[in-house]
Amino acid sequence: MLAATACIGYGFTEIALNRALDLGVDFIGADAGSMDPGPYYLGAGKPYVSPEAIERDLRLLLKAARSRDIPLIVGSSGGSGGAPHLQQTRQIVERIIEQERLDARLAIIGAEPPRDLIARRLAENRIHGLWPELPLDEQTVRDSERIVAMMGAEPLQQALRQGANVILAGRCSDSAIYAAIPVMLGYDPALAWHLGKTIECGATIASPKTGQDCIIGTLGSDYFTVEPGHPDKRCTTSKVAAHTMYENPSPYAFVEPSGIVNTLECTYEAVDDRIVKVQGTTFEPAQTYTVKLEGAMHAGWRAIVFAGIRDPILISRIDAFSRQIHERTRAEAAALGLDAAQYTLTIRRYGLDAVLGDAEPQAGEMPHEIGLMLDVVARTESQAQAVLAKARYIAMHTEFEGRLCTAGNLAMPFSPSDIPVGPAYRFSVWHAMELDDPLEIFPIEIADLDCRRAA
Amino acid sequence: MAQLKDIAVVLRSKNAGAFVLTIDVIFKTQQDYDRTVDGGALQPDRIAAAYRLRPSDIQIIPYPKVLSVKVTMPRRVGSGDLSDTDVYGAQQHVPLMLMELPGQAA
Repeated sequence: MLAATACIGYGFTEIALNRALDLGVDFIGADAGSMDPGPYYLGAGKPYVSPEAIERDLRLLLKAARSRDIPLIVGSSGGSGGAPHLQQTRQIVERIIEQERLDARLAIIGAEPPRDLIARRLAENRIHGLWPELPLDEQTVRDSERIVAMMGAEPLQQALRQGANVILAGRCSDSAIYAAIPVMLGYDPALAWHLGKTIECGATIASPKTGQDCIIGTLGSDYFTVEPGHPDKRCTTSKVAAHTMYENPSPYAFVEPSGIVNTLECTYEAVDDRIVKVQGTTFEPAQTYTVKLEGAMHAGWRAIVFAGIRDPILISRIDAFSRQIHERTRAEAAALGLDAAQYTLTIRRYGLDAVLGDAEPQAGEMPHEIGLMLDVVARTESQAQAVLAKARYIAMHTEFEGRLCTAGNLAMPFSPSDIPVGPAYRFSVWHAMELDDPLEIFPIEIADLDCRRAA
Repeated sequence: MAQLKDIAVVLRSKNAGAFVLTIDVIFKTQQDYDRTVDGGALQPDRIAAAYRLRPSDIQIIPYPKVLSVKVTMPRRVGSGDLSDTDVYGAQQHVPLMLMELPGQAA
């Protein structure tokens, strides 16, 4: 099997793809999403890579898969795997099929469960918090902008049984993309899931790290191997073994809808200097089938200003200065009819403590320059801009003890200084929901496309 | 005194989901792993103090096969929430990186 890239749109080399195809892979998988970029992309229905990059990657993969008549499985389409993300990816795929004169039986698998069903499961105590506990009530279920559920291997297998050869899945377990076919064929689920987990980040497990690329996975009856598609790259035992740690709360166990995969007893062996062989994974089937729910809620509109502070006297007074901006902005916003509950002002002091906040171990060391960001979120776009304009004026001209720079406190890098960022979201749902059936909330639409003789 | 950055070959932080931060430390040598992880230099109370969290929030999970230890903790706010400072959690390893290791010379 071939894992094309860590994420559709992050790219891969044609050398690696062609080499993998020449070796005779049985199917191509590609993850297209993640929640790492934060709640905006889920809430706003937008991809976090460019449509141009998505189209480039999908064009090469569609041509490769269709010319060899092997399945192509894309998981978490469009980044977050919601309905608009799936629709955008579908449009790109249909356009490529038309332009390249291909044919395909396309399966589109939705992953936005109906709100009534989620509310009912919540009332039945069949939605469980993860650690750390995030409160969830019916209002949050109703008010969230978008809620997706992460499918396991079963909806992909169902689409394959219906004859699909190109599958665009909504939100989907990354490992399931690669586990679906082998598990359906009767291979050991422990090894199939572990192989999926190992290759779902593409060339992240290969050296040297020169951008994303393809990884080839081979599954046997009691082992699997991984090797880079690109001839100049290598997989090493330490990188492959360490990969189960990555972005996972446990170093060696990971949870899938149908069970827990444990790699603690695994052996990792170098077949040669680029291929690693893995054995000994165990799999504990889940008592109850659960899928992860991910939801994002609209949290207001954001506007920011970013400016430099270089004056050493001001830098030495930065804490009192920050408090002054908060206090005076509160008074000025009140004069506009906006009380403190109607907006948030976050003052981010780059160079001082903007990254680590009160956990900054070097907080006492004063820098010679600070990048000051004023970050306002309010209920409407115009309110955010109104509060920000007040805060910016205050920061520019507020007095501080020992001030000599009476003409202005900030170096503005450009005009206009104030930047509207758009809607802000927060994650509102991050829970596990029990299903009666692994297919229950993942509707499969089949579309037969044949553009081979089109003009 | 030595700091974790002096004896690690990888020291990285990342979200493990939107509400959990996880830090991977991979050591250069078996000896460094043994005296730091088995020697008890990483204690929940010290890590909690560095991150302004409660000791009960800190999970320390050794993974000797790759000479590594994982430190997992709740994020103070969800990824991308209004006051969040690091959406991917990619720069939150630094307080751990700079923690001093008692009994280990620099």
